[in-house]
Amino acid sequence: MKIVVVFKWARNPLDARVSADAAVSWPGVKLAASDDDPAAMEIAVALAAGDEVVGLTIGDGDTAWAAARGAARTVVVTGTPGEADSAATGAALAEAVRRMAGVGAVLIGDSAWDYAVISALAGRLGWPAVAGVTAAACSEQGELRVTRRLGAAIQVLAAAGPVVLAVTASRAEKNVPGMKEVLAARKKPAEKIAAADLLDAAIAYRVQTQGTRFPDTPPARVIDGGDPRTACEQLIAALRVEGVI
Amino acid sequence: MDTTATAEVDFDVIVAGAGIAGSVTAYRLALQGHSVLLVERGPSPGSKNLSGGVFYCRVMEEAMPGFLLSAPIERRITRNCLSFLSASSFVNLDYADDRLAQSVTAVSVLRAKLDEWLAAQCEEAGVMLMPGVRVDALITEDGRVTGIRAGGDELSAHVVVAADGVNSLLCRQAGVRGPEPLKHLAVGVKSVIGLPRRVIEERFNLSGDNGAAYAIVGDCTKDLGGGGFLYTNLESLSVGVVLRLDDLARSGESSAELHDRFLTHPATESFLRGGELLEYGCHLVAEGGLAMAHDLTRPGLVVVGDAAGLTLNTGFTVRGMDLAAGSALAAAGVVDSALKRGDYSQEALDAYPRELDKIFVGQDMRTFRRAPLFLENPHMYGDYGRLLSDIMYGVYNLDTTPRRHLAAGVGDALKNSPLALLPTVRDALAGVRAL
Repeated sequence: MKIVVVFKWARNPLDARVSADAAVSWPGVKLAASDDDPAAMEIAVALAAGDEVVGLTIGDGDTAWAAARGAARTVVVTGTPGEADSAATGAALAEAVRRMAGVGAVLIGDSAWDYAVISALAGRLGWPAVAGVTAAACSEQGELRVTRRLGAAIQVLAAAGPVVLAVTASRAEKNVPGMKEVLAARKKPAEKIAAADLLDAAIAYRVQTQGTRFPDTPPARVIDGGDPRTACEQLIAALRVEGVI
Repeated sequence: MDTTATAEVDFDVIVAGAGIAGSVTAYRLALQGHSVLLVERGPSPGSKNLSGGVFYCRVMEEAMPGFLLSAPIERRITRNCLSFLSASSFVNLDYADDRLAQSVTAVSVLRAKLDEWLAAQCEEAGVMLMPGVRVDALITEDGRVTGIRAGGDELSAHVVVAADGVNSLLCRQAGVRGPEPLKHLAVGVKSVIGLPRRVIEERFNLSGDNGAAYAIVGDCTKDLGGGGFLYTNLESLSVGVVLRLDDLARSGESSAELHDRFLTHPATESFLRGGELLEYGCHLVAEGGLAMAHDLTRPGLVVVGDAAGLTLNTGFTVRGMDLAAGSALAAAGVVDSALKRGDYSQEALDAYPRELDKIFVGQDMRTFRRAPLFLENPHMYGDYGRLLSDIMYGVYNLDTTPRRHLAAGVGDALKNSPLALLPTVRDALAGVRAL
């Protein structure tokens, strides 16, 4: 199955500058690979089972990130109109995928950095999307089985046809490419496509931000420590409900 | 020992560290047609860098012609102010000169932008840039450095250039230098404060892209060895303190608290008022001058920039970036010759320190060799500032009592200070000789 992996498509919110009035700006901040990107890449390589894996990015700088992790080639979308515009980013990525024939799945980091891009990407492609993916495999019959995590529950879904899988990392990247892999990756083909050639000029993609505000402070839940055993049980139950463990 | 490499290598040269020294070395060698790998431990060049920000940049016109026109410089420094600060006063030596706008020898820079630009020039020249790689060790064979090890990977080169900063682990590993004594090192704590361009120009009496640089001694460090600095960028100010580690350790003071104290001093606060904190961080600074000099070569290894101990604090000017670029130029010339001859021996690479001695880098290090010792004088950081303040108070405090000549006023101020006349004169003479 031909797989596309989207990487370096968002900026790390920890790099954002948040002013006292909650206004957000991104001076000099570049698109970066999120913690989920390596997990998406890892699943993609396993799922492809020797078929082609294509890296797709809108980032600049080192675009050989996916190639160093097993992608055969990379497509770089340049000049995305407004990196903060999730709708335009999703549309440009979708059109780039559409131009690659025979794609069975698009894998993308299920990053909390910008959920809207994933929705826009799946919506523009018109493909089903599964979020919170932790594993995926093809059965012998060619059926795609996708494992996702929903709070404390693990769900295994059967998916047919081309699909967008938003992958959540459960651990740090194990096999970070070494220098030689990165150098070899830079020799792999990389095709640049201007976003202007992908986007329909007649469509207004712009996502308009109405404003930003600091999040409400969630109410604290106090667990009575009088009985240590009960307190521990309550703490563990609460952490499970919140999806921490 | 045969140190003439004949085996195939991954690159002609590997440069570790994409600061000014590393980038200029890589750029010059790539222009000569050599294959160069530039590795940087930060996710991008400049991302790990923190500099006070005045670059005496004339040398860059030789290193990268057209630098002034195309590099992301902030302001051309046309006003230099040396300020003696006490708790409630300051005495400034304030020098502004239109000629400095014409000659452009100093500019303020933000290293995150500058280093990224330098790396981009390198890539255009053909350098292979690899960020996010921390060099763990040098590879040596038969006493010659033959490459680097990072993660589980090894890459080989005819020559490795160590440009990995003041705390160069590669130099230590190569036995080029040991740990520096604390008095040779300082910690710089810096903030970048955002302000509208118009506000900066009004507060510092500037126009266009002209800029000001303040060097401050005294109360900014609570009388500890070191000083304060305040530089104007286009739409921000770089401000902070540099604290000599031996004094800081002895005092038990906190560097962060001293930084905050300086920024809230009335003399500083008035410049920063209404500003927004954009960046905050700290960095190790070399202060030892020529006393930090050490071997700069090993077979297959050349050391440049801060890693070579090339920094110079004269009290008036704090230099490092220009010396880094100068050392890079010298190193690139020598490495180019070595590559063309295929000789990477100690003898061949020792042409580099000799070249440094011929140019402004080595000569200035020698000229100001006494500066660090002079600046160790504890009176510099408190008593002399207060003495100056008392003298000026006597001059301007016309309280209807009869005035005395300046010399008598100086004598009175000296009597009331812990300073004695003879040691003060001795210090003045030492200062003239050192600076």
